[in-house]
Amino acid sequence: MLLLSLSRRRVSRGGLAVGLLSACGLLLAACGGAPPREPDETQRVVNVYTSRHYDADQRLYALFTARTGIEVRTQEKRGEELLALLQAEGDQSPADLIVTVDAGNLYRLQEAGLLAPLASAAIADAVDARYRDPNGRWTGFSRRARVIAYRLDAVDPSSITSMDDLANQAFRGRVCARSSTNIYNLSMLAARIERHGPDAALVWAQGVVANFARAPRGGDTDQLKAIAAGECDLAIVNHYYLLRMQRSEDPAEREAAALIGMTFPDQGPNQPGAHVNISGAGVAAHAPHPAEAQALLEFLVSTEAQSLLAELNEEFPVRPDAPLPEALAAIGPLREETTPLSALGQHQAEAARVFEAAGWP
Amino acid sequence: MGALAGLVCAAPAVLVIAGALSSGPTSPLPFFWASVAGSFGLAVVGGGFAALLGVISAWLVAMCAFPGRRFFSWALVLPLAAPGYVLAYAYAALTWAGGPAPLSVSGFWGAAWIYALAFYPYVYLAARAAFASQSACALEAARSLGASPLAMALKVAAPSAWPGVAAGTALAVMEILADFGVAQYLGVSTLTTGVFRAWFSKAEPQTALQLASLLLTAAVGLLVVERLLRGRRGFAGGSARWRPLPRYRLGAFWTAVAFLFCAGLLTLAVIAPLGWLIRLAALRPLSDLALLAEPLGNALILAGAAALVTLPLAAILAAAARQPDPLRARLGQGGLFLAGMGYAAPGAVIALGALAAFAAAREAGLVGGLSGATAFAALLWTYAARFAAPGAQPIEAGLSRVSASLGFAARTLGAGPVRRFWAVDAPIAAPSVLAAALIVFVEALKELPATLILRPFNFDTLAVRAYAYASDERLTQAAAPALLIVLAGLLPTLLLSSRIERARAGRRP
Repeated sequence: MLLLSLSRRRVSRGGLAVGLLSACGLLLAACGGAPPREPDETQRVVNVYTSRHYDADQRLYALFTARTGIEVRTQEKRGEELLALLQAEGDQSPADLIVTVDAGNLYRLQEAGLLAPLASAAIADAVDARYRDPNGRWTGFSRRARVIAYRLDAVDPSSITSMDDLANQAFRGRVCARSSTNIYNLSMLAARIERHGPDAALVWAQGVVANFARAPRGGDTDQLKAIAAGECDLAIVNHYYLLRMQRSEDPAEREAAALIGMTFPDQGPNQPGAHVNISGAGVAAHAPHPAEAQALLEFLVSTEAQSLLAELNEEFPVRPDAPLPEALAAIGPLREETTPLSALGQHQAEAARVFEAAGWP
Repeated sequence: MGALAGLVCAAPAVLVIAGALSSGPTSPLPFFWASVAGSFGLAVVGGGFAALLGVISAWLVAMCAFPGRRFFSWALVLPLAAPGYVLAYAYAALTWAGGPAPLSVSGFWGAAWIYALAFYPYVYLAARAAFASQSACALEAARSLGASPLAMALKVAAPSAWPGVAAGTALAVMEILADFGVAQYLGVSTLTTGVFRAWFSKAEPQTALQLASLLLTAAVGLLVVERLLRGRRGFAGGSARWRPLPRYRLGAFWTAVAFLFCAGLLTLAVIAPLGWLIRLAALRPLSDLALLAEPLGNALILAGAAALVTLPLAAILAAAARQPDPLRARLGQGGLFLAGMGYAAPGAVIALGALAAFAAAREAGLVGGLSGATAFAALLWTYAARFAAPGAQPIEAGLSRVSASLGFAARTLGAGPVRRFWAVDAPIAAPSVLAAALIVFVEALKELPATLILRPFNFDTLAVRAYAYASDERLTQAAAPALLIVLAGLLPTLLLSSRIERARAGRRP
């Protein structure tokens, strides 16, 4: 009112509004008028949208720059929001390479037409076809297994040879899991839906919910800590969380990790194999620097980068000839499910509905 | 004007609702009622606790004399600088499996607890300002008429503090409605977690938008209730002579109670969680800190720009809502409602609304791509949309302190509107404008989801760094950036606190 009573006398109302609007316009023009992409004549760059927040990735990018002279500019994003962001940016997007965790995210990016075809013999030669897009628009570059963690002094590992066992009545009140909104859980259930259909998946989810020691909360590490504290005996986690806990800077975490074992489920001859998800990447459909993006992706699947990723991040490589570091080799051979990775994306929404129906929050 | 400013703030939210109305089919939500119950239950319980803690601590600090009062009067504001999700992580480590305090802060009550600790400063600031600016004469008159301390609190101080308390509580409740991080981490289903579940897990943006519009409706309802509670009450009079407030000298027992209450609150809300963060950060090499210099600088630049852009909007909103003409005042309050919608909506929803607006503008050929400077502008717009409402609150409260009689007196003495503004209104409202700037600054410093979506390349802020590590469950590395957010917010928070302390009517002798 004060500002207005002042202005009403001096300037006409309309005049003031016009003035303010033009001030806003000026501000926008000042900010938005800059050219959307700065031309880079001297310095080659590649712009990376990534939802992986690992120091290992930064090391790899630095190594790539050292090798090729191509500067890597990154922007960390949440995988789920990448799609909406890229769609809003349209053909003006600055992104060259899109790096994300979870095959479902890659599938959705590809379906939305946001990825360009990957015409790279180097990638096709290096990476097993299973970890590449059937439509040739993305490739995986690291693998993580969803495993069963258990309390060493409370559970006989021979009683948990399958994820199905977590729905077993014998484990009533002994299972910890994180929220079903988590993408690792969604993709795991999506693979089950692909194999057995939604009804069987629902029965399994209901069985696990009946065995919950407590309502889901926290992340994978929190489930492991709950095992160490005796709140539950079993949990579903990604394999590298326990490895990371064993090497933690926090002595309390190392002590906790010593109480916990893990096992790859479903390894038997008549079992489907452990659920495995990938981190992957594709070149953006409107990439300003597609050649640089492809070069970076080819570097990520090189033997050197693959063994570094396995070493620093404890993820499984996607090329068979990359050497496994001791920590990964020690947890035994991994036989993984043969469910196509594209199925993870196809069934994710249904998986969310099955989780809801099972009362897994 | 106010309505226009409100529209600027509400545009992203309105786009969200428009998207929901033009919707296709949506699936039924099994967690729908649990989400509604979660959101409203947390708003009532968390908001109620926040109000209770805020009012009691403000009353003790403003009206009573006890050892440590001065210290507590600024220290109790500190949780304002800590993002809610940082508190939640800290409490998880302290009380979950293997933690030193096996209380297991989680689920509904855990979230209510975190919200109360994180958001009570909104109520505390407002209530303390109200208590501190009340008329010493009215209190003395009451006392001379034989009123007991309790009667004075209830009959004299409480009614005049009511608008401030209501406004502060409304802010706390809107923060609770918009929160995603705490609810998600502690495992509570709310409307906001439902928005993310529907949108990202089930790929049903329409369901998400409808949930979001429900959230926005709740925010508007809340503002209406706040207005109704506040009523048309105005308090005229009060002597302009400055005199120190008469503080109660407490007896030994009540001194101990007052001290323990403030010390306990401070321990639970600040010392315990920050102490844990410091312990974690100490496990990392010092070289980590060097990597944080750039995100710190970026965060300060961004928060400063946010304050600069948001402040004029907030001032227009606040001024428009206080026009004498009832029709115009209605319009102005409508603007405030619209701005409130922006505040109560999850940041990600507002950011995507802004994205939609920019996408439309791009198709119309008005702007280039959403990169670099345009993205920066979109981000600032999102900040303005979200934080104009909390910025407008203190300005409005400050303007309400300009009593009509002062204006009349100036007019009688022949002062024109310009002179009245500069000589009377501006000096009285100035501290509250500063308060608004500081609140917006601290809020923008903590803001995560919109920053994550819209920031330019190679432009990380502290909140982004803290999130990146925490989301990967590496809390030891997340601790240092989280602590830095608190530290960067500390100075403005302390400034804010001291400005409000001094914002007493009248002139010092």
